[in-house]
Amino acid sequence: MRKIKELISTKESKSIADYFRLSRLIEQESKEWKLSCDKTIKISIQSSFTINGIKEVLLVKCCELDIFPEFYIGDYNQYFQEILNADSALYKFAPDIIIVFIDTMTVWGEQYFLPYNMSDKERKVWVCEKVNETQSLIQKIKYHSSTKVLLHNFEVPLHSPLGILENKQEFGFIEATEELNSSLRRVFKSDNQIFVFDYNSFCSSIGKKDIIDYKMYYLGDMKLDLRHIPELVDEYLSYIKPILYLTKKCIVLDLDNTLWGGVIGEDGLEGIKLGPTSEGRPFQECQRYLLSLFNRGVILAVNSKNNFDDVLKVFNEHPYMILKEKHFSSMQINWDDKISNMKAIAEDINIGLESLVFIDDDKLNREMVKDALPEVFVVDLPEDPSLYLRTIMGINDFNMLQITEEDKKKGEMYAAQKSRQEIRKKMTDITEYLRKLETVVQIEKANQFTIPRIAQLTQKTNQFNVTTKRYLEEDIKQYANSNKFLVVSVKVDDKFGDNGITGVVIVIKENVTWRIDTFLLSCRVLGRKVEETMLAYVIEHAKKENVKTIIGEFIQTKKNQPAKEFYKNNGFDFIKQETKKEIWEFDLRKDYPYLDFILVIRKD
Amino acid sequence: MERLKSVLSNVLNIKADTITDETSPDNVDLWDSLVGLMLVTELEGQFNIKFSMDEVVAIKNVGDIKEILMKHGITLNK
Repeated sequence: MRKIKELISTKESKSIADYFRLSRLIEQESKEWKLSCDKTIKISIQSSFTINGIKEVLLVKCCELDIFPEFYIGDYNQYFQEILNADSALYKFAPDIIIVFIDTMTVWGEQYFLPYNMSDKERKVWVCEKVNETQSLIQKIKYHSSTKVLLHNFEVPLHSPLGILENKQEFGFIEATEELNSSLRRVFKSDNQIFVFDYNSFCSSIGKKDIIDYKMYYLGDMKLDLRHIPELVDEYLSYIKPILYLTKKCIVLDLDNTLWGGVIGEDGLEGIKLGPTSEGRPFQECQRYLLSLFNRGVILAVNSKNNFDDVLKVFNEHPYMILKEKHFSSMQINWDDKISNMKAIAEDINIGLESLVFIDDDKLNREMVKDALPEVFVVDLPEDPSLYLRTIMGINDFNMLQITEEDKKKGEMYAAQKSRQEIRKKMTDITEYLRKLETVVQIEKANQFTIPRIAQLTQKTNQFNVTTKRYLEEDIKQYANSNKFLVVSVKVDDKFGDNGITGVVIVIKENVTWRIDTFLLSCRVLGRKVEETMLAYVIEHAKKENVKTIIGEFIQTKKNQPAKEFYKNNGFDFIKQETKKEIWEFDLRKDYPYLDFILVIRKD
Repeated sequence: MERLKSVLSNVLNIKADTITDETSPDNVDLWDSLVGLMLVTELEGQFNIKFSMDEVVAIKNVGDIKEILMKHGITLNK
């Protein structure tokens, strides 16, 4: 398998035949590969025509990402029956994602060529019918399974029999197709299970005149030229990656010739290219775009060989610098090698190397990082700075299936973390440091606003997580509505900023015994006694309801070392070791007070 | 000829030195209608030409492919 992966990575631009060849090689070793792969996804493709190549390209691209995919490709035009029938092979396959690809010609049928056989009014009715049809089909999927659905919208045609008069119609052929697309967007906007894929924009990005190779269409019913399948699959992956939580979190930037043109150490503050000139604008606009990513929650960091003071001068004094020091969560500006700086950044921000994206104009640096830290995503920045913006805009690894309030503020929150660490460095007494932070912990029973975030935290928290049980939104909803469970979210605030909801506790209530099912805290607020505060809250509630003991379980994973000693250090007695599980018990005759330097707000 | 053979061996998963004018869907397992069309896409990209539909339909073996390529002005050295 390693050989195949090398083969995949050595060939930079692959043709569709290359993908077919590689996919054959992968298939031969798939059994062995499946065993070693911890991320798997089941993908079903349902389409209105024979769709070739998607499976093969997906297989190769998933292999590159260490995802093991399984496929169920519906026979063409069978999607209706498959979706309606609860016993269909589709539901037996139990997909994680269904891609529904119905093309414009199929949806219009005969009317595609003769749209003006219908009246304006008939076309309006037709759009409504198609939207209703799609909605009820999607309802069926939702009824039978909890899979995500990626629903293609429709390519808006280029032709009209009316030519330039098309736009003079009350409700023309083109407008009807557009209206169908906007209705689909509207209808599924707030549905977390259904994602409308803008296939029309995809076609535009390729060039609609180039979407179909007509002889292939007539010979093999190919409604998308084979050459474009890899690009389509990249679009699919931007949905698949977040389903598996393969989302990048942080962009690590080089400075000279990346964030500005020229070398600050040689060219000086006046000499570097940045600002409203032809040569300065590429850098200025890239910075603007990076700022917009920061605003949606992407963390920024610097990895640069430079004198720190030279750089600080640019950040503080250059009139056209858009990104400021405050936007960066970690700045490694020194003469160390880029690899140790990358590691320092990951440690500083407390995220894994696999969450980093590295942007550097120097090919040698890029190759070094690629080689030493294969988990880091290294962007192949073109040599010409005028192409930087397009390249950075093309990165599709920051996607999330939904953005919680916490995600939006993430960049800001991590930058505040830097200020916290700075006082920490100055202070040796930990309690003194914690007191200075003026932490406020708000513990709130789960409600409709917090449930998505609670589920997200159970999916993503690896380190301080005693049981690492993963839950979906539907599970949390169910627990929150039952009086047998206590489900709370924990929000942490301090004088440097709001960390948002970062902790979750789920307790199963069994008369005089409570069992802690989930107890987790995001790593960015670890070491601040928030976990003790959460436990104090549970104990306070248990005492109120006359509970005698609280049982805590610890299930070890590769990553949850930070939670290992938690029960031991907080008054729990060790009871027994079960397979893969330690059982601990807290006797509620004991006291466990809140800490005096943390303000606790309880919202029931 | 080398370029043609490398495309053929890549797409059809056969060894380059076994390819002759008579190599055809009848004696290559993988060569079905889909692979045939993929082969055309690949050749078009490699030689920067476009096949017409009639030409594609007429392909019965490697010899036919060579003829079409030559018609499009591609010189194939032995």
